[in-house]
Amino acid sequence: MVWTGLLIGLIFGALLQRGRVCFNSAFRDVKLIKDNYVFKIGILTVALSMIFFHFAAQFGWIRMSPPTFNWISTILGAFVFGMGMVLAGGCASGVTYRIGEGLTTAWMAAFAYGLTAFAAQRGALSFIRNGLSSFNVTVANENEMYTAVTGPTLSSLLGISPWIPALIVAALLLWYVFGTKTTPRKSTMDWRLLSVLLAIVAVVAYILSFAAGRNYGLGITGSWVALWNSFLTGAKLNWASLLIIGIIVGATITAVVNKEFKLRMPKQPSTYAKVLLGGFLMGLGATLAGGCNIGHFLTGLPMLGISSILASVFFILGNWAMTWFLYERE
Amino acid sequence: MAKYEVTKSLDVMGEVCPVPDVETKRALKKMKAGEILEVLVDYSMSKERIPETVQKMGHEVLEVEEVGTSEWKIYIKVK
Repeated sequence: MVWTGLLIGLIFGALLQRGRVCFNSAFRDVKLIKDNYVFKIGILTVALSMIFFHFAAQFGWIRMSPPTFNWISTILGAFVFGMGMVLAGGCASGVTYRIGEGLTTAWMAAFAYGLTAFAAQRGALSFIRNGLSSFNVTVANENEMYTAVTGPTLSSLLGISPWIPALIVAALLLWYVFGTKTTPRKSTMDWRLLSVLLAIVAVVAYILSFAAGRNYGLGITGSWVALWNSFLTGAKLNWASLLIIGIIVGATITAVVNKEFKLRMPKQPSTYAKVLLGGFLMGLGATLAGGCNIGHFLTGLPMLGISSILASVFFILGNWAMTWFLYERE
Repeated sequence: MAKYEVTKSLDVMGEVCPVPDVETKRALKKMKAGEILEVLVDYSMSKERIPETVQKMGHEVLEVEEVGTSEWKIYIKVK
């Protein structure tokens, strides 16, 4: 049932494009222009996914598999990834869906990002991750809601039911989303509806990917690596690589239909060098961190994996550091 | 014949996110009250975000005009 990856990709890509969902903007705008519009889409999606994932795991439709914890690799990788997305002009999902809008800078960034992630996972750069692997921490789970061996979670750390931290954290996030002022913006759809749709796609993606034997939710970095693997070694396309193809095709369709497709080229050719460097840092960073803004932020955070919580914090710090360096320094 | 008496025109087509927003803010800072800035943009997210940001800065958005496929002109009156 690997074709369900393509189906989910098409829907996810269409939503990303229509909703302009980019975590680079989400993290950066909060600091740069004091605008929390996209950030709140991210937080509301995470809060809803948290509840949905735990229900799906309770019913046995999925088994949660939060990523392995490695404090040094996660902090280093997430910070580098956070800086990279500012240079690249988009996060993992951002540069991927914008391929379909005809943004040539996104083509370059995605190219460097996917290829570097491949090299960092199984090529010439894999020595970095392997060299740090002695710091890996996993836990054995007795709870059926998780796979047998995963990274630690808030619930495994505290030795309590996963529902307790999930409900508390989801409530806190919902309080932030609805209890504080949201920056208005005229966009294509209501941001709350968009978040609900994204969370539904996230949980359905997990269920279908689990059924296809992949056992993780949405993720961009590993999926790009899978696509490069098929391209370079001739391996059969799998759920993950089809997800990427789906996102690009889905975003292209909605961009063309809504007259938002255009071959866009920057006036300064040096911009290409900047986005290539950004893509390189993203590929290296996401591999070291064990995931990108989708694998960690959108999928790992709702499972309350410690590595995803730490990664999310350092994605934001890396993003803010590079935003300051590029756009705020006079 | 131009719609508005544009003082300065800023072309940020093809630029990566958030260069259109940042350049717009920088241009506005150098302008005097009553002058009109015209921003040419082809990036949909900035087209939606720039009006909100400049209004928060106290300026007036006169119009967001569609001038081509995924191309817009934003007219901003400096306050």
